[in-house]
Amino acid sequence: MSTRPRITFDSQGRCNACQWAEEKKTLDWSVRQNELTKILNEHRSTDGSFDCVVPVSGGKDGSYVAYQLKHNYGMNPIAVTVTPALSLELGNQNLKNFIASGFDHIQVSAAGDILQKLNKFGFIHKGFPYFGWLIAIETVPLRIATQFKLSLVFYGEEGETEYGGSTALKNSPFHTIDFMRDVYLEGGQDLVFKEANLASEAVTLFRFPTQSDYGDHPLKVTHWSYFENWDPYRNYLLAKEKCGLTEATDTNTGTFTNFAQNDQALYSLHAYMMYLKFGFGRATQDAGIEIRRGAMHREQAINLVKLYDGKYPDEFIDLYLDYYQMTQQEFDSVIEKWVNQSLFELKKGRWQPTFKIK
Amino acid sequence: MLTKRLIFTLLYDGGSFMLSRNFRLQKIGDLDWLEENYGFSTVGYAIDELVVIDVSRQNRNTPQFCEDLKRLTRDCFAPITAGGGIRTLEHVHQLLRSGADKVVVNTALHDQPELVEEIAAELGRQCIVASIDVQKINGVYQVFKNHGTVKVGESLDHVLLKCAGLPVGEIHIESIDRDGTGNGLDLEILEFIKHVKDVPLILMGGIGNADHIIAGLKDNRVDAVATGNLLNFMGDGLARARELAINGGVILPKF
Amino acid sequence: MADNEVVIIDYGMGNLWSVASAVKFLGFIPVVTSDISIVSSAESLILPGVGSFRRAMQELKSASIDQAIFKSLENPKTKLLGICLGMQLLGVSSTEDGFTDGLGLVKNTVTKLAGSNEVSIKIPHVGFNRVQMPKESKLFDQISIDASFYFVHSYAMQILDDFSKYATTTYGQEFVAAIESGQVFGTQFHPEKSQKSGLKVLENFLR
Repeated sequence: MSTRPRITFDSQGRCNACQWAEEKKTLDWSVRQNELTKILNEHRSTDGSFDCVVPVSGGKDGSYVAYQLKHNYGMNPIAVTVTPALSLELGNQNLKNFIASGFDHIQVSAAGDILQKLNKFGFIHKGFPYFGWLIAIETVPLRIATQFKLSLVFYGEEGETEYGGSTALKNSPFHTIDFMRDVYLEGGQDLVFKEANLASEAVTLFRFPTQSDYGDHPLKVTHWSYFENWDPYRNYLLAKEKCGLTEATDTNTGTFTNFAQNDQALYSLHAYMMYLKFGFGRATQDAGIEIRRGAMHREQAINLVKLYDGKYPDEFIDLYLDYYQMTQQEFDSVIEKWVNQSLFELKKGRWQPTFKIK
Repeated sequence: MLTKRLIFTLLYDGGSFMLSRNFRLQKIGDLDWLEENYGFSTVGYAIDELVVIDVSRQNRNTPQFCEDLKRLTRDCFAPITAGGGIRTLEHVHQLLRSGADKVVVNTALHDQPELVEEIAAELGRQCIVASIDVQKINGVYQVFKNHGTVKVGESLDHVLLKCAGLPVGEIHIESIDRDGTGNGLDLEILEFIKHVKDVPLILMGGIGNADHIIAGLKDNRVDAVATGNLLNFMGDGLARARELAINGGVILPKF
Repeated sequence: MADNEVVIIDYGMGNLWSVASAVKFLGFIPVVTSDISIVSSAESLILPGVGSFRRAMQELKSASIDQAIFKSLENPKTKLLGICLGMQLLGVSSTEDGFTDGLGLVKNTVTKLAGSNEVSIKIPHVGFNRVQMPKESKLFDQISIDASFYFVHSYAMQILDDFSKYATTTYGQEFVAAIESGQVFGTQFHPEKSQKSGLKVLENFLR
């Protein structure tokens, strides 16, 4: 029994993320590499025009994919960033460094008031603090591709397969717009547009392109993790070496790493909400990655999770209240709505776990 | 018979303890954090030696370091090695008065080899650990100094030959490429140690779990392995790793 | 001098902080000093030592500490523990850094560690090693035979066939790991660095 949606466990208690990590060790990657070569050959431009879109944030994953496509596969990617609300200094610097290391780039910013409404109502009605941005990173790269008459869009990892969600795309290189809408966004767009009282015309950037938009250039949305073993730590090492990625000097809240998710303040709240909904937070997520890549064993990870998981984002709370235009009380009642109360109890204004990690 | 050694390394920067990944530092916690998660009066029994290095990139405060070193090691009755920025004999004395038995020198090996002679003349060569940081570039292990930022311009082989002519007690080699990655030690480094095969050897860089420790210590050429991975061994991590190593056939004392 | 005071001789050579810490941890009062009047009237003395035998003897002689030690041993209740180089100094001579006379409190000599035809060793001998313990020993009372102790040295004291009690270690050759001879005790290993077993050895000496 688990609290995380779409996760499954085998008879030994291993979740599908770990099972997949095992499977990947004996997977014949050469078959998938050939598929990649074939796809790229079909789309590679010969006249200097762009031939694929790579969504990036300036962080390790997008940088890795962009670098591979450009330098190892001879493609000409256009990197696309959707500006987050409440971007962090370090994230901005990393993005600048990425661009400076040699990538053509488009930065798309949604109208601030629209993004704010979608984030706020996404927080209230879906428990996703930056839902507006989450929608945009699915829709905007596709819209850019459509504008440039491109078909290929390369996301990094297929999060559901890699991190214990639905295994529907395990053996599939492409995902459909329907999958993005129904699984990644959990079908939440229409609900949030309605709650935010936003007419269709106001949220063009936040809607997926349709047949009439992409016409003769149907979209092929794919994820790099299908073609190569996805290793976030390896991505970090390459981004550090080739794309100017730098880390935070202190440990990030709620985890023990300093090199991931440094672009926006709302991520800490997103991770905290994840913790309250499912009982596992950023530290658990990062520990899972460390265990799967063989850097530590589960017993070692338990100590880290016990110490770091589920920290309240104290350093950003004022920023959040100001951004959402909410009082502390209103904020707390949104959290209360989403907390899994069979896992947590309220003590002195903070939700404390009633479970223990074994 | 002489047993192998499991060494734990603490990286100190102005009162904070750091995690290093390819020689880039992440602040983890201060002395209180360390005492809570690694109380060395108890964790000391899980290791054969503790190394504390002042890796401050700026504004090194040696008196403060020495105070913190004393506090850290007060009830830790295991061998202690200290270092970081040693350029004078007086600095060495300060460290020894603060609980260290041995000192580690890195940059000074290249910039002031005469200092090594000076320290040995007064305190004996067994007091000195020669630390060498390497990065593999175009298939060759290049040596770096100054926190891995300045290339010495000599290969590992060459530097070890130099060390063989200096009065050092132990050789400590760290892989910058593997540092903090948890990808295991780089045992290929061992192919280059012929000039110092009569000197005790410590290997470092890349240990994440007990398997890596076992792989290193089971090699005949290695006398000790060191890890500075502050995250992977918290709580009972070191004790567990030691137990696993002993069960895995490594000859370590049971404390 | 109070009953539980322990004089730790400061002659400019030796890791005094750790020894003093260990003494304090065991419930005694460490008195770190180079004052010869305190040394000569002490009943519990520790002579630490790190570095060159020749230099150490020079320091001890020039500060007249050697005389102070002999004086303190005139009192039959006084006991002395030499640690590491401190133990070596108790002997008659050492070949480290040239030939030097030691304190001569025991008859043993000190020479460089060497391997044998079959076994080559790395120098210095550094790390934890086990020890062959003597019967009815004061120092090793209630200590497990499996205990390991921390050694770090390149020179070693030779064993003699005499009335002293010896604990020995083998590294290349067999040599003195600890000596008990009347009022005079010594450990080649560092008891203050040898975890719980080391603390017990120190405690055995102090009680």
